[in-house]
Amino acid sequence: MGANAQTSVPLFVANSVLTAAQQNISAATGIPVFSTTVTRDAAFGGSNKVLAEGQLCYLESTDVVQYYTGAAWATVGPAAASGLVYITGATFSAASSVSLPASTFTSTYTNYRIVFRVSAASGTFTLTSRLRASGTDNTTSNYATAAPGVFSNASATTITGYNTTSFGNDTATNATGLTISVDVLNPQATDLTQVVGNLIGFNSLPAIAGYSYNAQFNATTSFDSMSFIAATSTITGYYKVYGYSNS
Amino acid sequence: MTKPITFDGYEHREMTDAEHAQFQLDEAEAKTKIDAQANKATAKAALLDRLGITADEAALLLG
Repeated sequence: MGANAQTSVPLFVANSVLTAAQQNISAATGIPVFSTTVTRDAAFGGSNKVLAEGQLCYLESTDVVQYYTGAAWATVGPAAASGLVYITGATFSAASSVSLPASTFTSTYTNYRIVFRVSAASGTFTLTSRLRASGTDNTTSNYATAAPGVFSNASATTITGYNTTSFGNDTATNATGLTISVDVLNPQATDLTQVVGNLIGFNSLPAIAGYSYNAQFNATTSFDSMSFIAATSTITGYYKVYGYSNS
Repeated sequence: MTKPITFDGYEHREMTDAEHAQFQLDEAEAKTKIDAQANKATAKAALLDRLGITADEAALLLG
């Protein structure tokens, strides 16, 4: 039980004495704080019952604020996380490869959004990526990539590959790098892991290349992370990973 | 010999021997791809030069 938690809700009547302790806990918390729903219900019970519609309380056990509707307690908040929930992110500098932390992909989320930005490179590089488990990249020939693209001068380009040892990514010949924003689907599940999203590369500014990125790992392996490999160059940038809330 | 640097999600560090071995394979494959793209661009420029047209004019022809 915390310092602010109380076990009773006083009902003052004529000639009752208001103690300093009672006044202090009221001033300190604003609303009554209880250890659990059991102590909450006990405090509002018996001869001191003052429970009525509109009553507020805070529960230490679940860290929520509740209000009484007149018939039952309802939770005000905090609301459950929804939509995209930030998981992890970092900056990297002059690295030849970058891995997300172990256990980035967990059973908490089924699908993930990764934003991977290369803002500078030491030279021409081809960025590839691999799925990862227990601290080791998976290098089996189970990767497939089908990414139609177009240069800003309207000529077509593609990134393709089948039975390769990594996902295919763009070759950037300019130090302003490239950005990948992709959804990684089912990496933890015993299911095919698929990657869908977009990739923009800067091959020779002001020209750019844009790709609709689609890739798949053709086996039902469970992964907890992912790596990006910039062979032939070092890269500087950042990544951010979000989980799609399941409800 | 200093190995390439990797960021492993926690820190920048030298690649392990196993990571470096795989990286060397990736590096060789990437160089092949980059060289092929460069060769293709060179061949394209040479062809345009022989034809005496620009890339935009070639695109018009193919469009």
